[in-house]
Amino acid sequence: MKSKVLTRTMILALVATLSLVGCKKKPLQPTGPTGSGSGNTATPPPITGSDISSGITIAGPGERPLVKPSDLEKRGEFTPVYFDYDSAKIKPSEMPKITTVSEALKGNSKKLVIEGYCDERGTAEYNRALGERRAQAALAELKRFGIDASRLSTISFGKDHPLEQGHDDTAWSRNRRCEFVTLDK
Amino acid sequence: MRLLIVMMLVVVSAANAQVTVVKGFQKRLVAVNGFGTTALGAKLTEVVANDVRLSGYLGLAKAEGAEFVQQGNVRTDGSVECYVTHVVTKKMFLSKAYPGNPDLRRLAHTISDEIVNAITGQRGIAQTKIAFILKRGRDKELAVMDYDGANPHQLTTADRLCAHPRWSPDGTRIIYTSYWQVFPDVLEVNLFSRQRRVIARFPGLNTGAEYSPDGLWIALTLSKDGNPELYTMGVDGSGLRRLTNTRGAESSPTWSPDGRQIAFVSDERGSPQIYVMSRDGGELERLTVSPSYNTEPSWSHPPAGSDMKPMLALTSRVGGKFQVGIYDSGTREVIAKAADGDDNEDPSWSPNGRMLVFAKTRNWRSRFYLLDVVTGEQLELPAFEGGASEPSWGP
Repeated sequence: MKSKVLTRTMILALVATLSLVGCKKKPLQPTGPTGSGSGNTATPPPITGSDISSGITIAGPGERPLVKPSDLEKRGEFTPVYFDYDSAKIKPSEMPKITTVSEALKGNSKKLVIEGYCDERGTAEYNRALGERRAQAALAELKRFGIDASRLSTISFGKDHPLEQGHDDTAWSRNRRCEFVTLDK
Repeated sequence: MRLLIVMMLVVVSAANAQVTVVKGFQKRLVAVNGFGTTALGAKLTEVVANDVRLSGYLGLAKAEGAEFVQQGNVRTDGSVECYVTHVVTKKMFLSKAYPGNPDLRRLAHTISDEIVNAITGQRGIAQTKIAFILKRGRDKELAVMDYDGANPHQLTTADRLCAHPRWSPDGTRIIYTSYWQVFPDVLEVNLFSRQRRVIARFPGLNTGAEYSPDGLWIALTLSKDGNPELYTMGVDGSGLRRLTNTRGAESSPTWSPDGRQIAFVSDERGSPQIYVMSRDGGELERLTVSPSYNTEPSWSHPPAGSDMKPMLALTSRVGGKFQVGIYDSGTREVIAKAADGDDNEDPSWSPNGRMLVFAKTRNWRSRFYLLDVVTGEQLELPAFEGGASEPSWGP
């Protein structure tokens, strides 16, 4: 298994990197950018720029489909499925939305990305796990409708990328959701 | 002198344990007179005084209230002298000259840690760094800063979404969750070669990674076999092993100081609670029972010779607010440490095991604070425009 992993070792995105590699390490500022040793300053300290390589070696195990960010821009084809607080259970009232998604996947070989989201009232990593369970609950229903699992993948965003920016029940209930995006290939 | 205090405390502790704990860890008050009136000296004074304020072990005092007095000066060749004297006994605790260094903050932090060590025998935190997640509009990128908030440096610019940074025990690498290729993967960045590599990119969720204390293993959450479960694997990608098999989700693994156990969050019995299990798998042992929401466990790893014991910090949710607390294994209760009506979350331990850094959100704006778990004191750090979260204290 290990040798298989090693033979897959490869470098991506070299083009974008070549100009960046190893040439921009910033010298340490002799006086420090906060201009003050006090921790109470309300002025945000200036942030120096990035200088790490954007080329990433894929040495670890695991594989999944390559999807470009632009592949996920075609949104709004399906209505999001909404969830109760701290729950990954698909409510009977939301089932027709899943049926609609499954119908759209029949008679073609389109792939589907299922995104799971949470409201802001949980901690980050717990919500990331909860969002994944929401996406997987939708995936399980689609499988039940006969959609092959190899066409389906999940992404959990946890509490990141909320649909609504508000901090009340209405916003929270809209943010606890699954979104469905088909891939054009 | 220090030994004497400890012995007195042991005697008193038999009578009243609670009082002695507080008394035994009282701050040692230092009058920082600084390093003279030159611009260089004034800058050193400013940073050292702030280090003393943030140190936990020491506190700033005026001359009349101080147990110790610090004095110093900058010589013409740029080297710096520092002296620390006990006020009552006149005993010199520190008397040392430091070579000049164009990086004044670094020089000041070195001196500050020596002052802490000279007075308490304990390791200071002034030379440490903190990794964190910086909000940039809709995106979140990986960044590092000095422990006092100075020298913030953004490491990634195009990862779209980053989360959960954790340091390798030797401080050379940071492992984190990145949505660089749309899906959440676990990546490792080498801070010296400035190269990155993918640690885990299985279907579904790859997140929550933390290095084992020996730096050879990683515990993380994967969902490749169904709902999110805990796994361990070698840092070289070999030896993947599944630890849990539950109906719920497991997340946020954190290693015990001896590397034999892993604490984590599971919601298999409803609400999220902290559990612990052997690194080899086996039975889950539930730790927390209340409050009804406990997440983000972080196990402290105090060094040999430390006056701090290993502790498990966590984030509870009480009355709709996050609060940082410590799990007390004796009473099996969570002792709230930062419960003040703000949302306090993401606790991460200082390498000496006395301080926590956490994210405090008030009126939907967040900034980092240090928390001295002995005195309960909260110390504010500089804020970042747009917000910052998930601080992780480096070794």
